[in-house]
Amino acid sequence: MPRRHLIIGGGTAGMNAMRTIRTEESEPSEITLVSTEKPYSRMVLPYYLDRSIAESHVYTATAKVLAGWGVKIHLGRRATALDTGANRCTLDDGTTIEYDDCLIATGSSPVRAPVPGADGRGVHSFWTLDQAKGVLGEITPGSHVVMVGAGFIAFTILNSILALGATLTIVEIAPRILPRMVDDTGAGLVASWLTRNGVSIHTGAELVTIDELGGGNSRRDSRGRTRLRFAKGADLLADVVIMATGIRTNLEWLKDSGIVIERGIRVDGHLRSSVPNVYAAGDVAEGRDLVTGAPAVHAIEPTAQEHGRVAGANMAGKSVTYKGSLLMNIVEVCHLDVASFGAWDDTKAEATTGLQPERPAYRKLLWRGDRLIGAIILGPSSQIWTTNDIGMLKGLVQSGAPAGRFKERLGRNPFDIKPAYIASRTTTMLLPETVLGRPAKAPDDTPVAV
Amino acid sequence: MKVLKIVPERCTGCLRCELACSYMQTGEYRPAKSVIRVSPFEGHTSYAPYTCPQCAEGWCMTACPVGAITISAVGAKDVVDDTCVGCKLCTIACPYGTMFYDPDTRKAFKCNLCGGAPACAEACPTAAILYEEVVTEDWLGRFADERFGHALAREAR
Repeated sequence: MPRRHLIIGGGTAGMNAMRTIRTEESEPSEITLVSTEKPYSRMVLPYYLDRSIAESHVYTATAKVLAGWGVKIHLGRRATALDTGANRCTLDDGTTIEYDDCLIATGSSPVRAPVPGADGRGVHSFWTLDQAKGVLGEITPGSHVVMVGAGFIAFTILNSILALGATLTIVEIAPRILPRMVDDTGAGLVASWLTRNGVSIHTGAELVTIDELGGGNSRRDSRGRTRLRFAKGADLLADVVIMATGIRTNLEWLKDSGIVIERGIRVDGHLRSSVPNVYAAGDVAEGRDLVTGAPAVHAIEPTAQEHGRVAGANMAGKSVTYKGSLLMNIVEVCHLDVASFGAWDDTKAEATTGLQPERPAYRKLLWRGDRLIGAIILGPSSQIWTTNDIGMLKGLVQSGAPAGRFKERLGRNPFDIKPAYIASRTTTMLLPETVLGRPAKAPDDTPVAV
Repeated sequence: MKVLKIVPERCTGCLRCELACSYMQTGEYRPAKSVIRVSPFEGHTSYAPYTCPQCAEGWCMTACPVGAITISAVGAKDVVDDTCVGCKLCTIACPYGTMFYDPDTRKAFKCNLCGGAPACAEACPTAAILYEEVVTEDWLGRFADERFGHALAREAR
């Protein structure tokens, strides 16, 4: 009987796993996919929101492509229980699926601030394609959009909201923006850059209620507006409220499965959970951090992709050990690139910084001994060296190239990365590296199942 | 496959490769749009061109959320403009710093070996850039290491 693979979740991790199973397997297997939504890329939703791409562009695999891979799909269904003793998964419609091995890649869901009115009609999350469609219909030129939350997710759609001709106010309960992506100096630069570009930012703003205007049953006034009230300061009137107040991994359904879950599903170097034939990948997995070596949850696209490929290769019978994921984020706001890597917030690291407020540009390099372990970089996206330095800093952190003899020099001028990068032989260390132990294949080069 | 082999000792810093690259890639003589970049070493006493090594992993390609980076007929990792949305994930995934982003087109771009006839190699008057059937390697590491060694030694004196 062919081996039966069950993939739970059709996001980046699940899609990469299925593609890799088909590429790596030596004998044909059965793949079943359970997905609440048609597979699409969350990364590109901001470009759908600003209408620079059509809806068709967001899908990562059409029904035809999945059929070509020989994938049986339970679409619109949610897994509700996993019986790891019986190797059986139960779905929300009562269907049961038996498997030989299974990948949990159920991702995350948005969380709204726990305030009265947060579930109102004028209040949106921006996480799924359906939610993106909901926001798309609401923003028109001149709309006042209030974004609740100033984290990475919020910032990915900032340009799109402005491109639609809306005015934007960002409210954040914390004293500063982008708390999990850049340090205080970086956040300050981004905040003043956004202010110069017409975005209002209210930090330390504790939202109390989102409520109706005019005393009627509706939460909105005759113009359809919503009122946001804060513990201190003036109310805000919004045409559209977007809640970007964080995400939570979708793990509740596994509470009786016996799988070891800490901050996420603990996985080993093969992306196996505590149950050997159950793998986990992406946001739900707590795997090795490349820089620290400790278990970590990296709820980012590149980790989902690499986890998915490694899990898929192992499910296909290969033995691929994952070196670990590198935390990295990049967002561009009003033509300012903002990126961070690795242990950018390690307070025990030896840190050097460089600041050019007039550009603006900022670099922070974090060292442990000879090795760069993290970096923060801000700079105008129109200047190619910003983009090039982003990649080279990633390469230095990823490779762990011994760059200590350039530390003092980079401390004096952290804007001159390239000579140190090249002279540290970073390229020599990186060239043999592949995630699957072989050259990667082009995205359209996946064998069609027979 | 044929790749760009760089012989840094031969580079004079004339920047013809950057001009030729930008012309081939964009139709304009704009070195700012070149995907091969000449860097100075040792306080502008020597130079070397640097570009995408066409690595085996293709970090840019595997990171792309919409499959917009593929392998061309000549084996180069190549951006498909119509598919790229400009999300910049490739610029952070590429550990060589050889992905580029064009704010005018809002697309990523990179060295695609000019479809098999690299303009930089053709333009180089000193044969510092060759297009040959060799395994890609770290063409500049040893050169930069030595030059940097001199500079650091001078600073120490």
